[in-house]
Amino acid sequence: MEYMSLLLFLAVCGVLLLGYPVAYSLAGTALIFAGVGIATGNFEVAYLQTIPNRLFGIMNNQTLLAVPLFVFMGITLEKSKVAENLLTSISALFGRFNGGLALAVILVGMLLAASTGIVGATVVTMGLLSLPSMLKRGYDPAFAAGSIAATGTLGQIIPPSIALVILGDVLSSAFQQAQLDMGIFSPESVSVGDLFVGAIVPGVLLVAMYILYVVGKSFLDKSAVGVAVDSGSEKPDVKQILSALLPPLSLILVVLGSILGGYATPTEASGVGACGALVIAITRKQLSFSRLREIMLNTTKVTSMVFLILIGASIFSVVFRGYGGEELIESVFASLPGGTFSAILLVMVVIFLLGFILDFIEITFVVVPIVGPVLLAMGVDPVWLGIMIAVNLQTSFLTPPFGFALFYLRGVAPESVKTSQIYKGVIPFIIMQILLLVCLAIWPELVTWLPAKVYG
Amino acid sequence: MPSCFLSLQQWLDTLNRKLCVVVSWFTLLMALLTLLIVVLRYGFGTGWIAMQESVLYLHAAVFLLGAAHTLKADEHVRVDIYYRKMRAKRKALVNLGGTLLLALPVNIFIFMMSWDYVVDSWQLLESSQQSGGLPAVFILKSFILVFAATMTLQNIAEALAAFGNVTQEQVA
Repeated sequence: MEYMSLLLFLAVCGVLLLGYPVAYSLAGTALIFAGVGIATGNFEVAYLQTIPNRLFGIMNNQTLLAVPLFVFMGITLEKSKVAENLLTSISALFGRFNGGLALAVILVGMLLAASTGIVGATVVTMGLLSLPSMLKRGYDPAFAAGSIAATGTLGQIIPPSIALVILGDVLSSAFQQAQLDMGIFSPESVSVGDLFVGAIVPGVLLVAMYILYVVGKSFLDKSAVGVAVDSGSEKPDVKQILSALLPPLSLILVVLGSILGGYATPTEASGVGACGALVIAITRKQLSFSRLREIMLNTTKVTSMVFLILIGASIFSVVFRGYGGEELIESVFASLPGGTFSAILLVMVVIFLLGFILDFIEITFVVVPIVGPVLLAMGVDPVWLGIMIAVNLQTSFLTPPFGFALFYLRGVAPESVKTSQIYKGVIPFIIMQILLLVCLAIWPELVTWLPAKVYG
Repeated sequence: MPSCFLSLQQWLDTLNRKLCVVVSWFTLLMALLTLLIVVLRYGFGTGWIAMQESVLYLHAAVFLLGAAHTLKADEHVRVDIYYRKMRAKRKALVNLGGTLLLALPVNIFIFMMSWDYVVDSWQLLESSQQSGGLPAVFILKSFILVFAATMTLQNIAEALAAFGNVTQEQVA
């Protein structure tokens, strides 16, 4: 009956494209398959009976507590206009140089990635604020749009990111399972903290490449970056820059520092971060009662959205496993020529393609539990695998024509910027992403070195 | 659509919106409690399991009981490559079909499957496995039933709304 699991996967892909909410598309289709299987005697009801306990497991998950709290922190910072302040002040600082605005976009994007971590919000904010002023200065629209879209996706990979929290949790149970399957009964573990630390070197490398590209382009291709306006008299106000920069920067330092220093778990750090964001909002006089209610309500909706997908995905994977889907994947991987390398390559290509229609959350909850244990049992390092998946998905979100970041940018970019220009502008950044993936594949130490140093 | 259906739909929408507004306060509470836990642990070297568990309880309430209104607000992720381009009537058809064939069966299934699971817990008045934990695991488990029930009710409201949209446009 293994082919039924393949059929289920294909059916789910088809149903998803109709556009009904993902969580129920997953669970509903799986349930229909289970029903048919039970009626024809091909599926054990016992599998379905594990579902209440699985739901309870989700409710009891200590690691995933960090999700609502990081969401709370991000939304609070977003609503208290931290992004706007950062953009205006840093743009004022760099705007006097050739290509300075593009550089400001990347630096601010990095800071926003580490503080708010909300990809859509970052792209929209920068698309609304920076793109018009870049165009006014005579920047090449493709170059401007490309820098904004690419920088917006950094929120996926630069810690503390919600994507890495989810990935860390899923990978840790996959890792446990892989070791149990191999007969190791005192399994090692991998944590969200490991993933955060592992993401730092790749994240910094990526930002460095972006900066090099922007600076290089400004020197070599003057026409792309327009004219720098030396506003002479209005010198950037140091006090204003500091007041825009210091609060989010210190929040990032506290949150990341406490995790990296081993003082706090990501969950604890997320709670501190959420309260810190509230303090920033209050001191900036940006927190009215109605805004607080808005923040709480948005946090609740995003959290429900994430966890409903987890519920749907876990019902899907119960049925998928019940039909022997795992054995199917194992046998496919085993029959591939080239062993582990081609198995990883295959998984990466599939994830990249799925990234066109599915978000990070769905892919992590659906795909990683299925392929993760098999790959990890082949001896792949869990932290390395996690970062590869994260960078891979980030690339996928940037790739025309279906990349999420491009949709967000298209939504706010002025009509004068052609869609084809946005596509053209992201190509150099996609190349840099792929370059990073290749580097990580050749030198896994780029990921694994820092966690080994920090956690010994 | 008969007006009694319309008022039923509005009543269900309102019910779940109010529930969502109530649990949204829990997010703030979670943040404050977590901060308190950190301060107590690292500042004073003390802490209670019950306090940590209460954050878990609040979290479960947030995502289980806020989900129905999130459905109403249309903030559950869709794969919208095609959906985005559909006309209003096609969208309503997708929502009507999806609600009746996918969501409703799943929610009813979760409710029925979890019934015994939760009732067993109530009969034991199940308490936390950890010493010093909250003695209210049966209440936590009951959230599953409340979740399935509120989602089912919201599905009914969504089905009514979608049905209204499908038929309305035929007249116009």
